Amino acid sequence: MKTVYEVVYQTQNSYEETVREAFFSFLVLPCQDQTQQVRTCSFSNSLDAEVFHHRNPFGFDVTSLRSPRPFTQFEFCMRAVVEKSFAFFPYGSTMTVAQEQEQLQDHSFYLSHHLFLSTGHYTRIDPQHYPQLLFRQKDQTVYQYLQQLNNHLYQLLEFDPEPTHVCTSANEVLQLGRGVCQDFTHLFIGVARLHKIPCRYVSGYLNQGLNLTGTAVMHAWAEAYIPGFGWQGFDPTNNLLADVHYIKAAHGSDYSDCSPIKGMLRTNGGHTTTYGVKIIPLPEPYSSQ
Amino acid sequence: MDAALRQNQISDVFKNYQIPPHFLDEVFQNPGEAHPHYQAVFQQFLDFTKDEFKELNEHAKMSFFNQGITFSVYSEEAKGVERIFPFDLFPRIIPASEWARLEEGIIQRCLAMNLFIEDIYTKQHILRDKVVPAELIFSSKNYLKAMLDIKPVGGIYNHISGTDLIKHRDGQYYVLEDNLRCPSGISYVLSNRVAMKRTLFQLFRQFNVNTVHEYPQELLATMQSVAPNGIDAPTCVVLTPGVYNSAYFEHAFLALTMGVPLVEGRDLYVEKNFVYMKTINGPKRVDVVYRRLDDDFLDPMTFKPDSMLGVPGIMAAYKKGNVNLLNAPGTGFADDKAVYAYVPDIIRYYLQQEPILNNVHTYRCEKEDDLAYVLENMDQLVVKPVDESGGYGILIGNKATKEQLSEFRHRVTENRRKYIAQPIMALSMHATFIEGEDQFEPRHVDLRTFTLLGKDRQFVLKGGLSRVALKKGSLIVNSSQGGGSKDTWVLMDDGTHMAMHQDNGSQSMTQNGQTMTMGPEGMTMGPLNPE
Repeated sequence: MKTVYEVVYQTQNSYEETVREAFFSFLVLPCQDQTQQVRTCSFSNSLDAEVFHHRNPFGFDVTSLRSPRPFTQFEFCMRAVVEKSFAFFPYGSTMTVAQEQEQLQDHSFYLSHHLFLSTGHYTRIDPQHYPQLLFRQKDQTVYQYLQQLNNHLYQLLEFDPEPTHVCTSANEVLQLGRGVCQDFTHLFIGVARLHKIPCRYVSGYLNQGLNLTGTAVMHAWAEAYIPGFGWQGFDPTNNLLADVHYIKAAHGSDYSDCSPIKGMLRTNGGHTTTYGVKIIPLPEPYSSQ
Repeated sequence: MDAALRQNQISDVFKNYQIPPHFLDEVFQNPGEAHPHYQAVFQQFLDFTKDEFKELNEHAKMSFFNQGITFSVYSEEAKGVERIFPFDLFPRIIPASEWARLEEGIIQRCLAMNLFIEDIYTKQHILRDKVVPAELIFSSKNYLKAMLDIKPVGGIYNHISGTDLIKHRDGQYYVLEDNLRCPSGISYVLSNRVAMKRTLFQLFRQFNVNTVHEYPQELLATMQSVAPNGIDAPTCVVLTPGVYNSAYFEHAFLALTMGVPLVEGRDLYVEKNFVYMKTINGPKRVDVVYRRLDDDFLDPMTFKPDSMLGVPGIMAAYKKGNVNLLNAPGTGFADDKAVYAYVPDIIRYYLQQEPILNNVHTYRCEKEDDLAYVLENMDQLVVKPVDESGGYGILIGNKATKEQLSEFRHRVTENRRKYIAQPIMALSMHATFIEGEDQFEPRHVDLRTFTLLGKDRQFVLKGGLSRVALKKGSLIVNSSQGGGSKDTWVLMDDGTHMAMHQDNGSQSMTQNGQTMTMGPEGMTMGPLNPE
């Protein structure tokens, strides 16, 4: 089964004082992988600046632009048509629990995945919080365990955009007991990494037709490495596995690798920013069974 | 003034000189008896009266004021105060043969470090083979994921290295630090030489000392050698954080002596992944950047997002091969003081050679038994943070108070990855003119050397910065910590006239026994350039 989406990312920024010079980088374009293909994409901005691209350290497209003239308003828009195909889930593991653990302890496995195994500001968890967390039972496979963990975090935290911000760490989230998708995800990553399971931060878009949490803005979920299978997406905010409704833009070690917009501005005053996304499943003739 | 009277006065500046009992004296082998390669200079210095010497010293200082060579210190009390780096007129002399070996060792070390950095950012063979522990590298804040799989044009990461050496009691050189993050100090090397020539030209010209003034041209040639592909006449610039940086003088000095623009971040911009410089004639493409800006500040799109000093987008241009950066970002994990312990193994691993230069034994507090040893024996060790430079945050065990020791025990235990410890090295001492006392006294010295690696070119400056700890008994030579410096002479050949001097000198010295006050025969210097 395939679904075709139109994905739109839009941001509007207004500045109190004239911006003399600016440089913006966007990490918002849906990526290409086994389950998704970008059919078309286009970028527009209110400054008519020509955009240019490079790949970030994880191989994802970054779209940049430099302001050609001073301004006080700036709008940017990315539009893409993405074909999403059905993803396979790792039903029934091909490896025994012992084999899985052996792979996770392997030195060259560790080297290949080290960016998704070491913890930093966002994902480090103090031992004092361990009693609140769910740990893997000895006889559980990685996949079984992570599904439980997904559910556990969904129960443990309450979705609440108020108390947290872009710099909130997993430890703070555990103290608060609430947060947004970024916080759910960092916590999931932190716990998975405690088990030496490679786990990465994903930013992307969520189908808006399903009444899920986190569809108005860019969404975040985690991808964990299931031995014998590969990477599988987990969305602890919704207690779901990432499936055909999840359109991935980029992944990284944590949020700092995935922030959708970065800018450097030469201006004096403050500014206001709004942004929004649209993820619309396109009707036939795009969709096909 | 007759010879005898003059004799009595001249010895004033050396009269109280005491050869340090526990350290190697670079100048004297016995009281009043200089090492062969110092003989001629020593004899000439004896010729000056105390007053003459004081005058020379003032003259040398003036030369620095006039050259405008100052630095500023980062500290609470002295915020932004400009100071002159104290200069000592008694040159450090290194014989040609001794230097030849050193140079070989420095090149070996820098080449191995370059291969190491390349390996870490690409295939990580050395980690797969467990020669260096992977956690040690991955936990370094200077290991940058933004550098993964980037291969700079020319294949060089550490274009400029400032290897710090000391001479131990055993007469051997030891590497203290590798300094692969745009080391500073070269402007002092060059201006020390200028000051030396202005003050004691008659003395200087009698020796075959290797020149140092070619350094800026060598640096420029190094930059040009690693220009992006297809660029015949690359535009090179020096990127400075600005006038408030402690080494701003050096940035300006290098730009001036290389004949290239000195720019700040705001003078550059990136458009379509190329770097341009704003000039009065419009944009000009920049090909090679010698950046004296820390990694963190280089590109707000990749590193510290609030940096206003950097150039947004420059890392993408670098990754595309459209600009080259000296040094490459992310070299700092390799000069991490905990990684230092593995450098001999790193040399063996990549070059299949035995290391030429010695390494100081290093205890990594991260390791259980090392930590236990360090906590137990801290009063006999130097404890250093692994990622700082400039001599900040160091504890010297035998000089520390009980409170400092217990504070450091606490600090080390709290953050084990951040600290290493080494035995207190017996840095050699060198006769140094001490103002106030107005005489020569032994002071600890080290030696910073400067190495350039380019595409198919290597250069070690035959000279360096001999840094002196001016405080009596102090081992910390950093300029930011009250150090001074000396002109460093690397002799071109250990030629015949020096040897003859040794004979003449030591004969007369022996006649005079062990006393510093020399009789007339002792002062019969013999011709400096015997024809």
